[in-house]
Amino acid sequence: MIDLIILVTLLALGYGFGSYAESRHYKSIIARENRLRHIPAVTSRFPQMNNNSRDAELVSGSVVISVDYFKRFIAALRNLVGGRVTSYESLVDRARREAILRMKAQAEQLNADIVFNVKLETSSIHKGRGNSIGSVEVLAYGTALKTQQ
Amino acid sequence: MKYSNPQIPEGINTSEQHPLKEFFMLTTGVLVLIVAAVLLLGFFADKLAHHIPFEVELNIVSKELLDGPEPGPMQSYLEGLTERIVSAQGLSQEMPITVHYVDDDTVNAFATLGGHIYMFRGLLEKLPNENALAMVLAHEIAHVKHRHPIRSLGRGITIGLALSMVSGTLGDMMANQIVSNTGMVTSLTFSRDQERESDKTALETLMVLYGNVVGADQLFVVLQNAEGTMKVPEFFSTHPLSEKRIQHIHAFGRELSASTTTQQATPLPLDFADWLSLETTEKEHE
Repeated sequence: MIDLIILVTLLALGYGFGSYAESRHYKSIIARENRLRHIPAVTSRFPQMNNNSRDAELVSGSVVISVDYFKRFIAALRNLVGGRVTSYESLVDRARREAILRMKAQAEQLNADIVFNVKLETSSIHKGRGNSIGSVEVLAYGTALKTQQ
Repeated sequence: MKYSNPQIPEGINTSEQHPLKEFFMLTTGVLVLIVAAVLLLGFFADKLAHHIPFEVELNIVSKELLDGPEPGPMQSYLEGLTERIVSAQGLSQEMPITVHYVDDDTVNAFATLGGHIYMFRGLLEKLPNENALAMVLAHEIAHVKHRHPIRSLGRGITIGLALSMVSGTLGDMMANQIVSNTGMVTSLTFSRDQERESDKTALETLMVLYGNVVGADQLFVVLQNAEGTMKVPEFFSTHPLSEKRIQHIHAFGRELSASTTTQQATPLPLDFADWLSLETTEKEHE
């Protein structure tokens, strides 16, 4: 019985804080995406070569987001029956977009106009802990290009 | 060429479904699955374990494992009663019953593998007449007759193995707990079924021995008092509620239209109280 109470408390905490953090994060992501829209991040490997190209620099952004208890519980049950782990989808979506935004913010500081050859790398952080800790790291990196006006 | 990052509509890489809805669907789905799996596995394990010969039980519980009963007046009295009940229940020769009198305050009695039955002093002290004592003994012997100990063991191993396999894949400690607790609570239905079956056989035995079922209900009144005021819901219990068992006995008594008055009860032997205190006083002297 006490187990059940602890579980429900953990789930409620996880759901409460998790969904609050998620909705706040999404709002901030959307706002910053709009603000940084003037610096496109594209996956083409080579920029168009013209005489205006001046400087190229590596820019990167990385973020680590932890899963909350509620999401992990759902995912654990999903392990049994299979199907889309929808509770993790929004988590990695947030991580990817946040990483790109941080990369773009770095590019903005360099006064770059565009980021080329953008790549994303994902890793989960749970060394030695099996499934007990679920954090996802997303790293975004690319080549920021400055062009002469 | 012009590069741009246009605004992409939300909800492409994420699901629209509300997480709480998914949570409830998954939880109920998984719990229903576990309950069904446990009931199915338990059913078949029970059926299979029934075919294990009694000799195997006798070999498992060898002499080295269990001490023989200590001789004494109570021990011989219980052995005499056991013999009468065994013949009343028509147990075969291959199923020897060994009754053990245990000088301990525990209010309990149980049957285990190999036809060994343990009667505790704590329970015997509280019994008002021989009929109630015969009810306890007949109930435990009925467990052996119906092969309940080995069936419980087979079922327990099967269900335990299956549950640990499932909860091992979950990877979340709390989710494991939920899965295994659900499984264990579900498997208790089998235990309660066995108790009901043994109660029924014991009542039939009392009818053969005494021609009535007087005193059977008194046993459960004793047990009810021993349980105290803490009521555990039947769902979480290995035994049916004492109240319900008493009701069953009364219904059984009415069915046979046997008049049940306590006057008809067979009294315990006159020296019974002495036998009970005998061994404790001996202990105190030691």
